[in-house]
Amino acid sequence: MSTTAAGSTGPSVGEPTGAPPASPPTRQPLGRRALSGLSFTNIGAVYVWIVIIVVFSFWAPDTFPTWSTFQQVLNSNAVTGLMALSVVPPLAARVFDLSLAYTMSLSGVITAKVIVSTDIGAGGAIALAMGTALVIGVINGIVVVTLRVDSFIATLATGSLIQAFITMFTDGTSITGVKLLREPFASIGQKSAGGFTIPVLYLLVVAIALWFVLEHTATGRRLYATGFNSDAARLQGVPTDRLRFLTLVASSAIAGCAGVVFASQIGSGSPEAGTPYLLSSYAAAFVGATQLRAGRFNSWGTVIAVLLLGTGTVGLGLATSAQWAPSLFTGLVLIVALVVTGGRLGLRTRLTRRRAPSKEAT
Amino acid sequence: MSDTVTTSPVLSITGLSKRFGGTQALRDVDLNIAQGEIHALVGPNGSGKSTLIKILAGYHQADAGAEARLDGEPFELGSDHDRLRFVHQELGLVGELSAMDNLALSRGFARSRLGNIRWREQEHRTVELVHRFGLDIDVRRPLVDATPVQRTVVAIAAALQGWEADQGLLVLDEPTAVLPPGEVGKLLDIVREVRRGGASVLYVSHRLDEIFQVADRVTVIRGGRRIATRPVQGLTPQSLASLMAGEATERSAERPKVSATSRSGESALEARELTGGPLRGLGFSLARGELLGIAGLAGSGHDVLPYVVTGAWPGDVQGQLRCPARSPEWSDASRAARLGIPLVPGDRAAHGVIADFSVAENLTLPLLSRLRTGRRLLDGRHEAALVDDWVERVGIRTAGRDAPITTLSGGNQQKVVMARCLALEPEVLVLCEPTAGVDIATRLQLYDLIKEQAAQGLGVIVSSSDVGDLLALCTRVLVLRDGQVVREIAGEAITEPTLVHAMEGTE
Repeated sequence: MSTTAAGSTGPSVGEPTGAPPASPPTRQPLGRRALSGLSFTNIGAVYVWIVIIVVFSFWAPDTFPTWSTFQQVLNSNAVTGLMALSVVPPLAARVFDLSLAYTMSLSGVITAKVIVSTDIGAGGAIALAMGTALVIGVINGIVVVTLRVDSFIATLATGSLIQAFITMFTDGTSITGVKLLREPFASIGQKSAGGFTIPVLYLLVVAIALWFVLEHTATGRRLYATGFNSDAARLQGVPTDRLRFLTLVASSAIAGCAGVVFASQIGSGSPEAGTPYLLSSYAAAFVGATQLRAGRFNSWGTVIAVLLLGTGTVGLGLATSAQWAPSLFTGLVLIVALVVTGGRLGLRTRLTRRRAPSKEAT
Repeated sequence: MSDTVTTSPVLSITGLSKRFGGTQALRDVDLNIAQGEIHALVGPNGSGKSTLIKILAGYHQADAGAEARLDGEPFELGSDHDRLRFVHQELGLVGELSAMDNLALSRGFARSRLGNIRWREQEHRTVELVHRFGLDIDVRRPLVDATPVQRTVVAIAAALQGWEADQGLLVLDEPTAVLPPGEVGKLLDIVREVRRGGASVLYVSHRLDEIFQVADRVTVIRGGRRIATRPVQGLTPQSLASLMAGEATERSAERPKVSATSRSGESALEARELTGGPLRGLGFSLARGELLGIAGLAGSGHDVLPYVVTGAWPGDVQGQLRCPARSPEWSDASRAARLGIPLVPGDRAAHGVIADFSVAENLTLPLLSRLRTGRRLLDGRHEAALVDDWVERVGIRTAGRDAPITTLSGGNQQKVVMARCLALEPEVLVLCEPTAGVDIATRLQLYDLIKEQAAQGLGVIVSSSDVGDLLALCTRVLVLRDGQVVREIAGEAITEPTLVHAMEGTE
């Protein structure tokens, strides 16, 4: 791979930097370095994506290869993309945040509830929801980093706590109201230009921000170091605990945004809004980690994975009425991607016991 | 102590050789272990001792030409044989499980015809086994609650299962390395108990005093060759240490010069009353430009000192440290990390390099804050220049700065680790096992690099269990035993025999 060492040869070598997902992969920056950037191991998902597009174009020639399908793929996957990006920072530091689906639900529910039943207005409601999401991130950080509970179990537990709050707020039913369908709240998720809804723009902004932090700042490099070998990183002065804490706060914040956007899109606060996004976001992040920067959870790889999975899902919806097809597709893509890249995402630091330097010798 | 040794060997090996790439780890070694004897195997680090044990256990394949016999029968080295049992240094126990479960893991549970475990019988069986060694523990409690010596005994009991009638050869690989000094005696009693049962024991150790307490005969290997096999009775600790250390004159030519800055006596780092892990109230002073060696056997604390001084030790630490160049004030050792002394860790794979990172990323990890441009942005061009500069200065052989670190040899990886410490421009550098897993040519380059830096005023602490490192590098060596400095050796007096005698306490 010619593009290791982020930034060592200037930004954006062989990467579709900020390119709208619409651009076909052949429009990558040309040059000698770009050739290896175009290899199957580097951007295999893009080739698979093309194959899928071709297959569906023959399978459903009337409905699939159209501009509106393309718009539909982007519009319907913007929230999925936000959720997938939210798991990237924790995973880069080898921390799992399984509570984020509930965080998403809760922030949507809080926003809806406050707008419907008070006069604070959309701005205040969103601030309150985002504040709650940040508090959840801090609680996750305390449990995982300060109290040293394995993140997998800890965030499963906090997820359950959040679910309790959601049920308390909603009694298990969606929060609806005329105010939710009006401006200004409705425009947050529904405003559109040229057939694309505004959440596509949010996805782009978050993706660029995350790419920038991970690839072009010291923090990003330290985050990867923490994930790959936290003992070695700590010995080099990397504040591994603080970084893990921050990734959990960041993932909660992004999930909170996704919750607000989703509530605006559907015009209600659903207590189960986030649940379907848990698996798909992890699937996309894991497939994404096999792309562009093999072995590293990264921003654009994740976006490509979301679009690949989204295209397959939309295409299957157009070509067949089988309800089970999308799940089958997601599962297969995930397994194939991890096998083809040799399962390079060994989650060693989580699965093995942390070794203190030569402490066994005492 | 040493009973009459019967002549029929339980295990005999002749012509055992092993080559790893360019290194001849073992050269034509013979070993004979008599029926019912405790046979010690000693040699300095890197002598080929552990290679020999690993070949016996089947981790390595012997080179062609070796012959082995077990009870007089031809026997393929490394093959699984019921008469040959091992207790490795790591013991191979599962700490979360009880003694009972651990014993059953190696030889199976007592089961009824339906396949369910007969717990009562299993417990009875376990109690019988451990009681034989006078061990009084609750066999149902997790082993993490047991003391180190109890765990070692459980490991021995597990290894001996099924030998009630017909005894064979038990191989104990440094069983006392991790035991506190007071408990060693208990373990030696157990070893004698094993022999009383009729088994033979091959006892690998660093500690000469144990060998005199327990062994009948001893085989010394050094540099991959068998130097001698002698009855322990005819030896003194001094003569055995001399066999291990070889001739005093061998390395004296490489003696490093005391640099001018070191003579000036300006101190770079001072420590007092350091306590933490095995260390007990240790103090020292390191001059600018000095190459100070830290020596000791396993458990002496010589491998812990580097971590304590650099603030990387995870346990509790007491005592004070001072870097006069930074501040005349003493600071608490628990905040040693603030002194910013870089460490080249002993376990390169676990604590040194980040395997998924490139050469450049590994090299600049502690330097990232210096590579920022105005805001928090990383300056790629600056990073590339800095990495290329150090790759050239230290002579790192790599396909490029973006090559994955794992494509480099161990020696070149170590150069990367060293370079990133030097790039911090420290006053003091701490090295732990600096040449572990480094080939001989690169080792000499590392020595040159370290000496060159010391000549420019860098104070260096070298902790190594490889006497060769201390001989080649140091102008002064502190020898540790039980967490304290027991001996200070300086200048011409640093020779392999003096070091070995001081570490073993056989002066």
